[in-house]
Amino acid sequence: MRLLSSVLVTLLALTKISFASSSSVLVVLDPSLNREDYSIFFGGLEERGYNLTFRAPKDDTPAITDYGVPNYDHVILFAPDTKSYAQDITPQSLVGLLSENINLLIALSPKQTPLTSLAAEFSLILPPPETPLISHHPARSEPITTIPVPVSSSSPILTPGIPPIWFTGAPHALGSTPMLVPILRAPAESFAADSTSDADSDALIAASEKSGEGLWAGSRMGLVTGFQTKVNSRVVFAGGVKMFSDEYAKKELPSGGAPGNALFATDVAAWVFQEKLRLRIDGVEHHRVGESVAPEVYTTNDEIVYTAHISAYDSKTSAWKPYSGVDDLQLEFTMLDPHIRTSLPAVPGSPGTYQIRFRAPDRHGVFKFVLNWKRKGYSYLESSTTVPVVPPRHDQYPRFLSAAWPYYAGAISTSIGFFLFAALWLAGDVKGERKKGSKVE
Amino acid sequence: MAVSTLWKSYLDQTPDRLKFIDAFLVFIVLSGVLQFVYCVLVTNFPFNAFLAGFASSVGQFVLTASLRAQVNPENRSEFKEVSPERAFADFALGSIVLHFFVFNFLG
Repeated sequence: MRLLSSVLVTLLALTKISFASSSSVLVVLDPSLNREDYSIFFGGLEERGYNLTFRAPKDDTPAITDYGVPNYDHVILFAPDTKSYAQDITPQSLVGLLSENINLLIALSPKQTPLTSLAAEFSLILPPPETPLISHHPARSEPITTIPVPVSSSSPILTPGIPPIWFTGAPHALGSTPMLVPILRAPAESFAADSTSDADSDALIAASEKSGEGLWAGSRMGLVTGFQTKVNSRVVFAGGVKMFSDEYAKKELPSGGAPGNALFATDVAAWVFQEKLRLRIDGVEHHRVGESVAPEVYTTNDEIVYTAHISAYDSKTSAWKPYSGVDDLQLEFTMLDPHIRTSLPAVPGSPGTYQIRFRAPDRHGVFKFVLNWKRKGYSYLESSTTVPVVPPRHDQYPRFLSAAWPYYAGAISTSIGFFLFAALWLAGDVKGERKKGSKVE
Repeated sequence: MAVSTLWKSYLDQTPDRLKFIDAFLVFIVLSGVLQFVYCVLVTNFPFNAFLAGFASSVGQFVLTASLRAQVNPENRSEFKEVSPERAFADFALGSIVLHFFVFNFLG
């Protein structure tokens, strides 16, 4: 009986584990878009273990949150031309979802929609309405708004060697916030204009003659940009929804060969849904050299050892594995200003362990061990531990000072000299007494 | 020339016991001078140790010099009521107190 019940409990636990690794995604799909047209992208997601739920922007159900508790882990917003949304998925409420650690993948369009102002909240500046991206190069049979965009491999988000991808949509300019992660930039010869006819290019020429002011052109425009919030939730703004479609994934490039749309979409989805480049601090320890437990207080000039344990999420096994690949981790020992700022190198033998040894400064006060690592594309690593540092107690100073030995020697020699003198003097006195006494006799 | 006469006269005319005290005085002066030179040339840290060591030399010199004055037979007229034994006892007691202070202040 006991064996049976323990077997049942084990089975239940195992089933729970296999379900926990899958995530639920709500796909808000505009009715004008056909779900089957995006079967490669959605099919790929389902293959990787995501549960997709589809919904139109104006529908009320299924609700994203029930009484403040989120029902889904991620949201895909493929409704680029919709002007009005249901109550719980207005773009403003989506921002609130980010603080609940829900990740978003949003497709924009050249039309003026609520998403335009949403993108502006993330420091993305969209061009004037109805100005899609246009490029006359390379020569191709497709319209000039359908552009093959080369993919640079400089971002850690993308796997290297992705072929150019087909793109239709609006570019955007990136603001100056460091939380933006550029993923795909516009080709250098492209520009945004409000007409596909070259006859109406006056505005463009005027802007370029004004030394580029107001000129929407070149590779400083972004097409797909990510944003990582302070709680490590991620948003990706894509300039158009068509690049996720099957048609573009199969369309041949003008230079021959298959495009990289499917690969690119997979990589971007992997980053947004927290499969890749996801790190966390498992724990930190600090103690004096030679000890293993953190003391209540440190003394000035103590030798201190600080250890951090960092893991990366491995999506293949849905587990956190120790990660030693961070090579520029820094530790600051701070009291209002960092008194010590040193690197935290990985320990060669133990995976995921980073350790440094340093001397506490000669100031007493309340210090913090601050670990603050922010890199584009990776999760932010932040940790702060507060410790007191006290001056030495009266009996922690050295007992005898080596600079004072001449004085020690002088005082001691004077004392010894006095004792010897007194002894010899008294001995002489005794001898004198005996001599005198015998003389008197 | 005059120095050698002085030296000869000192060796001839000074009693042995006084010469013994004089030797001790020279030793104390030497120790004090050495400490002072170290303080001036190298460092006066720690200052309390310098004061204690130097005070030990100076104090012991003063006590020994006063012992010599009181014990010298040529000063008998000035020290009628102090016997040589009483002088030595004063010297010893003063020295003990001095050394007590010195080792306390030496750190």
